[in-house]
Amino acid sequence: MNDLCADIGFRSLLKHDEELCGDHIEIVEQGENSQVIVLADGLGSGVKACILSTLTSKIISTMMAAQISLEECVATIAATLPVCSERQVAYSTFTIMRIVNNEYAEIIQYDNPMVILLRDGKNVEMPSTVTEIGGKTIYRSTIPLQENDIFIMMSDGCIHAGVGLSLNFGWERKDIISFMETLYDVGFTAKTLTTILLDECYKLYGGEPGDDTTVCVVRIRKREPMNLMIGPPANRDDVQKMESLFFSKEGKHIVCGGTTSSLAAEYLHKPLIPVLEFPDPDIPPIAKIEGVDLVTEGVITMNKVVQYAKDYLEDNESYKDWSYKRDGASQIARLLFEEATDINFFVGRAINPAHQNPNLPINFNIKMQLVSELTEALQKMGKRVKVSYF
Amino acid sequence: MKVTVCIGSSCHLKGSRQIVEELQYLIAKNNLQDKVDLGGTFCMGRCQEGVCVTVDGKFHSLSPETTKQFFETEILPNA
Repeated sequence: MNDLCADIGFRSLLKHDEELCGDHIEIVEQGENSQVIVLADGLGSGVKACILSTLTSKIISTMMAAQISLEECVATIAATLPVCSERQVAYSTFTIMRIVNNEYAEIIQYDNPMVILLRDGKNVEMPSTVTEIGGKTIYRSTIPLQENDIFIMMSDGCIHAGVGLSLNFGWERKDIISFMETLYDVGFTAKTLTTILLDECYKLYGGEPGDDTTVCVVRIRKREPMNLMIGPPANRDDVQKMESLFFSKEGKHIVCGGTTSSLAAEYLHKPLIPVLEFPDPDIPPIAKIEGVDLVTEGVITMNKVVQYAKDYLEDNESYKDWSYKRDGASQIARLLFEEATDINFFVGRAINPAHQNPNLPINFNIKMQLVSELTEALQKMGKRVKVSYF
Repeated sequence: MKVTVCIGSSCHLKGSRQIVEELQYLIAKNNLQDKVDLGGTFCMGRCQEGVCVTVDGKFHSLSPETTKQFFETEILPNA
């Protein structure tokens, strides 16, 4: 066991005028510290490619997760995939990455662009062995993981980006490597790196991708705990208990809500100082308490964070807002989405009588709803979330 | 003189930002920065009467529309 974890982000661009993606990514968790990631690219495009790649990735990931040998996996795919009536072949390329105990990665590649590994800011070519299984040439590598390793898996849509338009031979792998090397030290999340790379492909294609284009980035990082408290406990006598549990946790501490922060300030015997600045007109100002990393207002701020979280899981458009802004919601978004890997929510169930007014768009149910929506979104980002109610 | 504006959830929705910005502007315009200490606070527990503002502890209920008048009657003469 070590304190590393894998931050995984992926997304696809659809071929111009297609409704279905012919690439597919499947991730299967094997316990807490191991996963199997499969990126498959089906022959052709549209529905046929979609079926081929979905079948391939599902079959491989399920079988690999069950510790079945690669030979058998490949044989199963060859025997199961429907044969294309035009081309008389059943075909889907694939890249498999199996992370074991966050200690090493096994990478198995068939006909996709070779996986890129960036280590210490530089590209490292992984040593690999070649195996022939059922007439397919397959490359296998096993590599011990290090903190800050970045693995980039791609479908051929990436290296073909801009072919015949802006670039003669498409965006070659070595050029993608130098592009991504410049982003290594910034500390972007896997999802953001994915988005940046795909946006560049989209640009090179002139907005009309000639092929399905998929990127999956795996970033090896240290686990980072984060604690967020929202709402005072339902029972006033539990304040001491809730505060002491919260502040004894390792990692950064975020306190949301007016009453909640007053109670935290009281517990810490430090003044609560609101900052009268409005970097975002829609979000109430933040405050400062010595010993707390971030103090914000409650429901309105949290509502914005949930919006950002949902967008992050989709096309990540609002990244350009929350990535730099100074308002409470953007700051929470950065801490939770980028920095944290393990999040503890301390949710107090006290009902604020002042908010139980039908004219106000904030009430108790909304707060509980926001917490559960945020929890769900963070889990989808691959974070471990624990919620405790008081 | 200490003027405190509530910036809690409820008052925020009722326009405390506009009030803070207008007061900041009026205080600067009348060169009262040394005399008036404008600050924020989280919920004062009187959300129904928001936006809640206190002047040296005395409670006032404001809205963005009444801010200018409030400044002229409560702050300007006493500062």
